[in-house]
Amino acid sequence: MAEQSFIEITGLTKWYKNTTVAAVDQLNLNIDEGEIFGLLGPNGAGKTTTLSILCNQIPFSGGDISINGFSLKRNAMELKKIIGVVPQEIALYDKLTAFENLRFFGNLYGLKGNFLKSRIADCMVNFGLEGKLNKKIDTFSGGMKRRVNLIAGILHKPRILFLDEPTVGIDVQSKTVIIDYLKELNKEGTTILYTSHHMDEAEHFCTRIAIIDQGKIIAKGAPSEMIKLQKGCESLEDIFLHLTGRKLRD
Amino acid sequence: MLLLFRDRAGLAMLFVMPMALILIMTLLQDSTFKILEEKQMSVLVLNYDADTFGINIVEGLKQSSVFDVVERLDGKAFDENAMKQQLMLGNYRIGIVIRKNATTALKNKIRLGIQAQFPVEEGPIFDLDSTDASDTANVKLYFDPITQSVFRQNIISALHEFSAAVEAKILFGIYADLFNDMLDIQLKPTQKLKNLVVFEQEYASTAINKIVPNAVQHNVPAWTIFAMFFIVIPLAGNLIKERQSGVAMRLKTMPGSEQAVVFGKGVVYFVVGILQAIFMLLIGFYVLPLFGMYSLKIDSHTLPALALIIIATSMAATGYGIVIGTIATSQEQSSIFGSISVVILAALGGVWVPTFMMSEFMVTVSKLSPLNWGLNGFYDIFLRNANITEVLPYAASLTIFFLLCLLISRFYTKFK
Ligand SMILES: Nc1ncnc2c1ncn2[C@@H]1O[C@H](COP(=O)(O)OP(=O)(O)O)[C@@H](O)[C@H]1O
Ligand SMILES: [Mg+2]
Repeated sequence: MAEQSFIEITGLTKWYKNTTVAAVDQLNLNIDEGEIFGLLGPNGAGKTTTLSILCNQIPFSGGDISINGFSLKRNAMELKKIIGVVPQEIALYDKLTAFENLRFFGNLYGLKGNFLKSRIADCMVNFGLEGKLNKKIDTFSGGMKRRVNLIAGILHKPRILFLDEPTVGIDVQSKTVIIDYLKELNKEGTTILYTSHHMDEAEHFCTRIAIIDQGKIIAKGAPSEMIKLQKGCESLEDIFLHLTGRKLRD
Repeated sequence: MLLLFRDRAGLAMLFVMPMALILIMTLLQDSTFKILEEKQMSVLVLNYDADTFGINIVEGLKQSSVFDVVERLDGKAFDENAMKQQLMLGNYRIGIVIRKNATTALKNKIRLGIQAQFPVEEGPIFDLDSTDASDTANVKLYFDPITQSVFRQNIISALHEFSAAVEAKILFGIYADLFNDMLDIQLKPTQKLKNLVVFEQEYASTAINKIVPNAVQHNVPAWTIFAMFFIVIPLAGNLIKERQSGVAMRLKTMPGSEQAVVFGKGVVYFVVGILQAIFMLLIGFYVLPLFGMYSLKIDSHTLPALALIIIATSMAATGYGIVIGTIATSQEQSSIFGSISVVILAALGGVWVPTFMMSEFMVTVSKLSPLNWGLNGFYDIFLRNANITEVLPYAASLTIFFLLCLLISRFYTKFK
């Protein structure tokens, strides 16, 4: 048997209750340690569903997932310790300050005291949020909320980071800060799996990508190679349109 | 935890609302409850019978600690019409009129009774005077129309008891005279005879089987429990908000079980419930007296029982909050359903209208409300100095309710 990949997804299938189509359909994917992997696809493709399954938020109907040699089903608790999650929506208590939010989540990851305090302070500085520590989340702008939302997922320096559309709906400045930071994090050894529908962003950011539509992977590879292989396509966006068609999605 | 403290308005509501309710309701209801208490209550008395019966009844009423006999209004004597006027105005709740010649009538009746015991050939033993002995209404009672029947029965039974004692005394006197006349034995009028009428304040009627608290003993625990159950709203609200904001989803990805997080939340609210109870009891002890109300009194022996009831009530409230927070799909839904259901359970459970004022049927229905279990536990402690074993059934019911709530929410989450 070949050596196991860091993240191995085989035949993953997810049926939501009372639906006639599988949201994720027989999906196979291998991701190596140290990659920045992009899961790309139109709305409703099944990106969020796949990510939610990977980070234990929802159960799956069929298939197998192993991360770092642990089965997701049997060793969920082990895996929770090494993953970090940045959800698509802002998952923060908006009546609490940034610091209170981050301290709470840090505590849940087993971080404590002064170590946690300085870690929070460092991250806030990295994301240009110095001085906002004691402001309530509901006073933050969308970009600021997104950055705090991200910090909450990386406080414990996870080995794997899952991000669901971290750059959607924010200004270019926030986006740049986030992308640069993630690159930095990746250099330090964090494997990143992220979803997006920004093709040009993914083209430059990811080591490899997979294009997913209607719960199935329709293409995968390194962005540069994919562009080379696909005749007449000069960017990832061309490939994407070529594969998924121009029909509007909801 | 922080969330709760950040929500200052919500927190204030949890403590200030019941405090206000306790003060207002106690002050409002004090007069209603007062008449049910063993507390001096004013009785207008018109005694037209300046003889044994009238004097003894009035004397008895005066000596009883229950009644405060009023024979003059503003220093002036009054008549029956003035009495009725006063009662109608609600200034007094009861008026007693003792008819003229009540003693004579009573004596005649007794003499007739004795006469009937002797053989006819003996001839008349007594010189019955002309007063009509068949006039039975010796005492007439007037009530303020709003007087409750429980209270009415109490006063009537107290009067019956008084008059029975006076009758016995008169009967005794007549027999003494009779002995004197017929056997020529001089019975010494003993001092003891005068004290024969011993008035015992005893409540007959239904009140004996029911716990009748005073305004303080009712309102303090009632509104405390009510407020404790109101933590349902912030608790359920937070759980829902957590779900909606995606924080709950984030928590799922973190080490440590979901139950632990819900449990942690539950513990915080549970503690808040305990603090509420302590706060309200302190109000009962120290603040109400400042407003001229009674202070709540408890026996130090009952403290463990009190602690048990408070803990069980807080657990039940927390469980209820968790269930609503789990099942409701929006914050509006949970706060509307939460508050309305708590108000309904409170009404059923005897928080608004105490159970002793309820009909038999409603009393049975009230047993369905967890608030009633808690309230009865408190009543038992305040009124009967109940110990731990005596309040255990209530505490157990509340605990079972709590566990049931947890079970339902577990089941519901699994099913979803
Ligand atoms: N909770 C749910 N219940 C039923 N269907 C769902 C649910 N969440 C997502 N879906 C469906 O599953 C499919 C994939 O959704 P999703 O994973 O959110 O797509 P993406 O993140 O790629 O936009 C869509 O067709 C969506 O309608
Ligand atoms: Mg999505």
